[in-house]
Amino acid sequence: MAEEVRDGLRYTEAHEWLKIQNNIAIIGITDHAQAELTDIVFVELPEIGKEVKKGEELCVVESVKSVSEIYSPISGKVVDVNKKLDDSPEVVNESPYDDGWLVKLEIKDKLEIDSLLDVKLYKQILK
Amino acid sequence: MVLKSPLFNIQKGLGAKFTKFAGFEMPIQYSSIKDEHLAVRRSVGLFDVSHMSNVWITGKDADKLISMTTVEDASRIGDGLSQYTAILREDGTVIDDTIFMHLGEKYMIIPNAGMATIVTKWFNDKAKEHNLDAKAEDVSRDFVILAIQGPKSRDTLQKLTDTDLNTVKFFGCQYIDIGGVHCIISHTGYTGELGFELQITPPKEAEDLFYKILDAGKEFNIKPIGLGARDTLRLEKCFILAGNEFEGGRTPLEAIMSWTINWDHAFIGKGALLKQKEQGDYERLTSLECIDKGIPRHGCEIRKDGEKVGVVSSGTLSPCLNRGIAMGYVHPEFRDAGNILEIVVRNKSVKAKVVKAPFVKKDWAQQH
Repeated sequence: MAEEVRDGLRYTEAHEWLKIQNNIAIIGITDHAQAELTDIVFVELPEIGKEVKKGEELCVVESVKSVSEIYSPISGKVVDVNKKLDDSPEVVNESPYDDGWLVKLEIKDKLEIDSLLDVKLYKQILK
Repeated sequence: MVLKSPLFNIQKGLGAKFTKFAGFEMPIQYSSIKDEHLAVRRSVGLFDVSHMSNVWITGKDADKLISMTTVEDASRIGDGLSQYTAILREDGTVIDDTIFMHLGEKYMIIPNAGMATIVTKWFNDKAKEHNLDAKAEDVSRDFVILAIQGPKSRDTLQKLTDTDLNTVKFFGCQYIDIGGVHCIISHTGYTGELGFELQITPPKEAEDLFYKILDAGKEFNIKPIGLGARDTLRLEKCFILAGNEFEGGRTPLEAIMSWTINWDHAFIGKGALLKQKEQGDYERLTSLECIDKGIPRHGCEIRKDGEKVGVVSSGTLSPCLNRGIAMGYVHPEFRDAGNILEIVVRNKSVKAKVVKAPFVKKDWAQQH
């Protein structure tokens, strides 16, 4: 099954996606990342209000056998987290780009957005 | 050097993802650890466990050598039977846990992955020291080991053999013709389910058989199973994984293996065990089921009221219970069933309850 790369999003080499809406970035992991992890059984989300710098740990995604840290692709303040994942972490597998989003960040530095990958570049990485 | 199973290409063709384990590149999963795990609990799964070792013990004194080097009195284990046991150092700590099979004049032992050289040398050194007419020979690379596990394992294999598998008793072992291959079968496993293991030589013979077993199990939705589910299946049943539970040197008393010890014979390490038994104050392997969300992992600290009282040796999410489970070593005062301890997972304290082994009981599949 082909892994989806969705148009209109920005990406990182670590297989995260960002949906930019004004000064808010919704962050999740890509279809490729969820397929690699398989069976996501636990998601540890940050506290709302937490300030993170680009490259700092943002959340932790666990499969049965592995623990994967998700590092923040940009700097910002956590304004919302996907609480649904507390009880249904498998949603990240089922709907990585929609219901399985992880965190909403208030963007601190718009310039950081420019350095993210676009769809075309991310597709090249997957090849 | 990384070793591969002789079935590597077949597994790759079946979509396996691989991991390095004890010097081998083995499938960690095919479809999903959870799906594979539940397939074994509810129906049947096929494992390649060729990373495990095969060592022949031969010679007139083979039984004496096994009795001396393990906690079992081998003269007690008749022809056609196998036994789970432990090989100890003089200080009582476990070198390896293993199954030995009594096959006519010979014994085959199945040391853990990467342990063949150490165990073979240990047996040969002890035979020499005690002037025994017995020899250990590492034949690990000559064998493929397949495990067929789950409530439908017998029905699956029965289609491939004229031998009535009901006559192969629990922990029985014998030669068998199955799927056109002459091999050793034992009614053993590492999943806590009905199951069998096959020792196949030469390895090439296993290629066809692997497919034949998958075909025979089709009506039961058989799945090939990776090491990921093998680990979660054994942990739900509180079976020991040598690399985890013996890390740093543990005795069979600490590892709650006293049931394997036959005290009525002389064996290496017995003196140390008797001394430890008398002293009584030693850590014991303990089963913990998480109450809070969180998944304990190897190395996580175990605390009582904020004070460190032990370390997790194995931890995972239990696919059957959908809860974190762990085994770890704590002192006897903390291990009464129902006692609440804390496991530290990434600086967060996760409440966990001491429970009686196993985490998942025998009738789980019937009830779920």
